[in-house]
Amino acid sequence: MVEIKKTGLKPKEEIIELLEGKNKIFVIACNKCYKEYTDETNEELDQFLKLMQENGKNVVGTARIDFLCNGQTAGKKISEFKNMDEAETICVVSCGIGAQTTMATLDGKPVYTVSDSLSIADNATTPQAYHGICIFGQKCAACGQCYLNFTGGICPIVECSKSLINGPCGGAKNGKCEISKEHDCAWEKIYERLSKQNRVQDFIFLQVNVNDFSKPTVEQTNALIKAVRDKRDENFYGGLHPYSNKDSTTDLPITAFPEPETVAILLSQHTGRICEPLVKAGEKVKYGQKIGEAGAPVSAPVHSSVSGEVIAVEPLLHPALKKEVPAIIIKSDGKNTPHESIVPNDPEKLPAEKLLEIIREKGIVGLGGAMFPTHIKLKPPKPVDILMINGCECEPYLTADERVIIERTEKVFSGIHIIAKILQVKKVYFAVEDHSQKAIAKIRDYIMQNPMEEDLSLVELKTKYPQGAERMLIKKITGREVPRGGLPFEVGVVVSNVGTCAAVSDAVREGMPLVKRVITVAGENIGKPGNYEVKIGTSVKDIIAYCSGSLSGFDFISYVLKMGGPMMGVQQQTLDVPVIKGTSGIVVFKKADIEQDIARQCIQCGRCVDVCPMELSPLHFIFCAKQEKWENTAAYNVKDCIECGCCDYICPSKLPIVEIVKKAKQKIK
Amino acid sequence: MFILETKPKEELEKLLKPGVCVIKCIGCREISLPEEKIEELLKNLELDAKDVLAVDYLCNADFTKSRLLKYKSEIDKCNSILVFSCGVGLQVLAGMLEEKSAVQGLNTIYISGRGLAPSDYDCDQCGECLLNLTGGICPVTQCSKGLLNGPCGGAKNGKCEISKDLDCAWEKIYKKLEASGRLDSYFRKMKVRDYSKALAKPKQPV
Ligand code: SF4
Ligand code: SF4
Ligand code: SF4
Ligand code: SF4
Ligand code: SF4
Ligand code: SF4
Repeated sequence: MVEIKKTGLKPKEEIIELLEGKNKIFVIACNKCYKEYTDETNEELDQFLKLMQENGKNVVGTARIDFLCNGQTAGKKISEFKNMDEAETICVVSCGIGAQTTMATLDGKPVYTVSDSLSIADNATTPQAYHGICIFGQKCAACGQCYLNFTGGICPIVECSKSLINGPCGGAKNGKCEISKEHDCAWEKIYERLSKQNRVQDFIFLQVNVNDFSKPTVEQTNALIKAVRDKRDENFYGGLHPYSNKDSTTDLPITAFPEPETVAILLSQHTGRICEPLVKAGEKVKYGQKIGEAGAPVSAPVHSSVSGEVIAVEPLLHPALKKEVPAIIIKSDGKNTPHESIVPNDPEKLPAEKLLEIIREKGIVGLGGAMFPTHIKLKPPKPVDILMINGCECEPYLTADERVIIERTEKVFSGIHIIAKILQVKKVYFAVEDHSQKAIAKIRDYIMQNPMEEDLSLVELKTKYPQGAERMLIKKITGREVPRGGLPFEVGVVVSNVGTCAAVSDAVREGMPLVKRVITVAGENIGKPGNYEVKIGTSVKDIIAYCSGSLSGFDFISYVLKMGGPMMGVQQQTLDVPVIKGTSGIVVFKKADIEQDIARQCIQCGRCVDVCPMELSPLHFIFCAKQEKWENTAAYNVKDCIECGCCDYICPSKLPIVEIVKKAKQKIK
Repeated sequence: MFILETKPKEELEKLLKPGVCVIKCIGCREISLPEEKIEELLKNLELDAKDVLAVDYLCNADFTKSRLLKYKSEIDKCNSILVFSCGVGLQVLAGMLEEKSAVQGLNTIYISGRGLAPSDYDCDQCGECLLNLTGGICPVTQCSKGLLNGPCGGAKNGKCEISKDLDCAWEKIYKKLEASGRLDSYFRKMKVRDYSKALAKPKQPV
């Protein structure tokens, strides 16, 4: 990686002349892209400020912005700056794109650029040479008719100073171009490369198309640019379109996973206080019996998912918390004898308070992954007017929610009705991504045939990751923006996952606690992929043994196993972990396929900023971590990170950003 | 940041020898990679899309080196390598496989200077930025002829003569300067463009 510089200050004389008679200057400087992120200084800005001081100019403020060229993020930041109103003149230190963006944003003020964009290429004939993610010297001028196939992979448009396409001009001496001794003759290089491949004859007899400068046409380019931009700007800022890989399970109906011999019920399967065990080793328990009690308001009890005998209460590795948590190990008698507490209720006859009590007692938590106790969520500190049902399964591979919608439509709607009743809301949005057309059709039919009390609208959203994140959904559908660090209820919305709705219905109507859930098992070496209804507490080992035929094919050397989806799922180090309430899937990858490669220097390419749906600047987390200045991450809003993994996915330097975020969150707690 | 399009099948057929190894760069997939067209093209070339080696960031020589090691057996076996990447990616790869012919399956047709989504603005790094005189509208990139000294005279109804889709940059500049009371900078004395500046070496940090 070469350290490059895209911007240089204009000559002093030009700047002085430009700012003649002008005062009260506000400076906006870009932190600049495509250079190794090694320090926080900005030389051009410092030089400029010095020049202003020497010339007795009054600078009323300065602002340094990451990626001034990113109109969406920079525009917002620019408008936030104080002292700006005071300023009479605004000066920009950035490349030409940053300058144009600023000038367009601050339409009403005189904005001047005090810098020139430099070509980073020292030998390119085209100025458009800073292309590519990593700058290693090769360049492309986007001629629209790539000649590399005839030139052995050396670009004649960029490398030949005359952009000749039909061989050398004849002016080269000792392999150097006549314009400069520093510059190799491109055509001599091409000749050498082709000789090595025995392709010189081919080339000599080749009829080369002349460079068609009308290619591509303005219309064509504009149309393509528009398509790319529209796709990127869909629904919300940032995000990605990872391969969905849902084909292997999307059409497989939910099947019951074979009865486990033993289950391990972790006493922490929710956000909040760990449960106190209610049973001891040797005790007999029944199916659905409460075996762990919530000791605090923010907590949820746990229940036995089998009938049988408690063989131990011992610490066990938690698949999400990554530390040991007490668990109740139960040997099943295979009978599933139901506990007496499982009695049906009629939700129509019960008041909201009673319904909430049932939901708490039956241990219902958010099944989307966060495992927030549902009874707390449904009792927001201030009234809400919208209930949003989240059917956006934006994680690749996972199809469990989709199958629940298709096969358990009635349950889902019954749950929606109960939740709406508790919250006393009349407006319900049901959001589904457009890749689940079957689910959409099913919901549509259901609403037609079963008129509801509530006003329910089905919202079909364009597929984009992470559409299922609450913030994104709320913003897209209601236009309301959840404040940074805030929760949805603050803008009058409660979001609930479809699986949770079905669980609420089971808890209330059937008296069934949360003891099983639907998960997707898919990926490499999984011979029997599917959407399985699994008892909570079933060991991942049992699931892998069943779904890949045997355990012999699996090892942690060649495979990576994640609980949850590939983007946000938690990578496991052992198979001895149980399924918990928040497990949405088990996905296996070949290590070689997803290997992150070695982390490199951040090159300030800005891609992480472009994809971060929370509009953060993830690159700073890396820099803070490198300096061990964790406290600084707070200023970059690390707490707002939803750990969606978009930045990790796109980073061309393979930096483990989410890992750093998690660490930072812990350090500054 | 850029736009890619597949090359016509006829052009590639002539170049590929039986035993083709296909490499697809997915580093910039989020921006532009005509994946459906690539699949169609592979089908037409009677190549199996299942065997495509997907790699990311071919433009990063370090990565390319490690990918070449990883897929050494496939690459050693094959007679031609068909690459789907921008022009940069193939140049990096071809530089490392001097003795094999790497065939480019895509045309790179547009490059803009920043980030993931193409920006509304572009900059050619002319080395003597004129934005201060042109109301923040870049004549080098927005005028189809890159004129610095005013309009060519061919615009009709505010549109450039090369396409109805393109606004005349100089008309926009005039209007902008007029609106902000800066027409004096429109009627200024003009310097010719110093092309050697566009080729300048990056200034070294002081
Ligand atoms: S391209 Fe964008 S980030 Fe890079 S220097 Fe220009 S304005 Fe700054
Ligand atoms: S010939 Fe050169 S400029 Fe044209 S597309 Fe290929 S690499 Fe880019
Ligand atoms: S994507 Fe990676 S390399 Fe690029 S700016 Fe972000 S952290 Fe740095
Ligand atoms: S993981 Fe955090 S920082 Fe990265 S893109 Fe998602 S929200 Fe942004
Ligand atoms: S080689 Fe080209 S297409 Fe591939 S990641 Fe690099 S810039 Fe993008
Ligand atoms: S005038 Fe030159 S430096 Fe300024 S934006 Fe245009 S090309 Fe870039």
